[in-house]
Amino acid sequence: MTAFILAAPLPRPRTLVHPGPVGPIRIEHRHANLGRHFRLGLEPGRTLQDAIIEPLTRLGVRAASMTLLGGRLSRLLYCVAPPDPSGERVANYTRPIATGAATLVFGNATLGRSARGEPVVHCHAVFVCEDGRVRGGHIVVDRSSVAHAPIPVLATSLDGIELRITQDEETHMPLMRPFAIEEASHAV
Amino acid sequence: MLSEVRLVETGSMGRVAYARVAPNEDLVLSIEKLCVAEGFAHAFVRGALGSLVDACFLAPDGGTRLVRGPAVEIVSLAGEVRTQGDGSLRAAITGIVADTEGQVHGGPFVAGANPVCVTFEVTLEEWLPAAA
Repeated sequence: MTAFILAAPLPRPRTLVHPGPVGPIRIEHRHANLGRHFRLGLEPGRTLQDAIIEPLTRLGVRAASMTLLGGRLSRLLYCVAPPDPSGERVANYTRPIATGAATLVFGNATLGRSARGEPVVHCHAVFVCEDGRVRGGHIVVDRSSVAHAPIPVLATSLDGIELRITQDEETHMPLMRPFAIEEASHAV
Repeated sequence: MLSEVRLVETGSMGRVAYARVAPNEDLVLSIEKLCVAEGFAHAFVRGALGSLVDACFLAPDGGTRLVRGPAVEIVSLAGEVRTQGDGSLRAAITGIVADTEGQVHGGPFVAGANPVCVTFEVTLEEWLPAAA
């Protein structure tokens, strides 16, 4: 006899329809045989973008996944992603919201390359605003700055993987995608 | 029996995998599928960010809590993937998300109920337990 397991019903997940053609590959992945790890202290006074990119570039790291630990920011701008009223995309980032100074709780960031080959950082984080509210979202890294003390970051390098932002046909959004280094250099 | 619960596992880190997960794939199941594709028996989540259509967390009372999007931003994840006794892979993933107003919510993600909105970037580090 078949045994049944009684379980509470789940909320039905929603499948959204994006404006562009559906890409055939749903999980694009690459691996590095060994991750190199680095502990960074993000330099006070610098933007998050510069404080992350400069030391990693000096270390020869072109792609990395990072955990940002807690610390103080002298200014912070972030975006959230509500539905796009134009219908051009399912959801789109808002204009940057300025919080002034803030306390970073923690966050994650990816170092990759723009379509033009320049280093870029994609960062999402949780933070406490000066009025005590806890908020989170997409951090505008070139307009958010480290306050007076270094912010610790654990970086794991993705050697042999090229992370590059390309315009995604399905979602109409610029997205970070993994490529083999050889493949990426051919494309340039 | 308590003696059967292995509290300390010695091992080392192996390969590092990075994936970009496309819309409507499930957050938890895609992490398991990534391990299958890469041949990882055990792994830790080392970094993750992206967005969900809606986020669905397991509540302490056994029910679920839904954070309505789109898009709900994935701020940070903690979690691991373990090979089960029957050979299947199981990811246990908890995390923090931000809703469309920037308010944060957290908890354990319910497998199958967290579809990706635009993209989900995840980095896994393979865990290689030493032979027992």
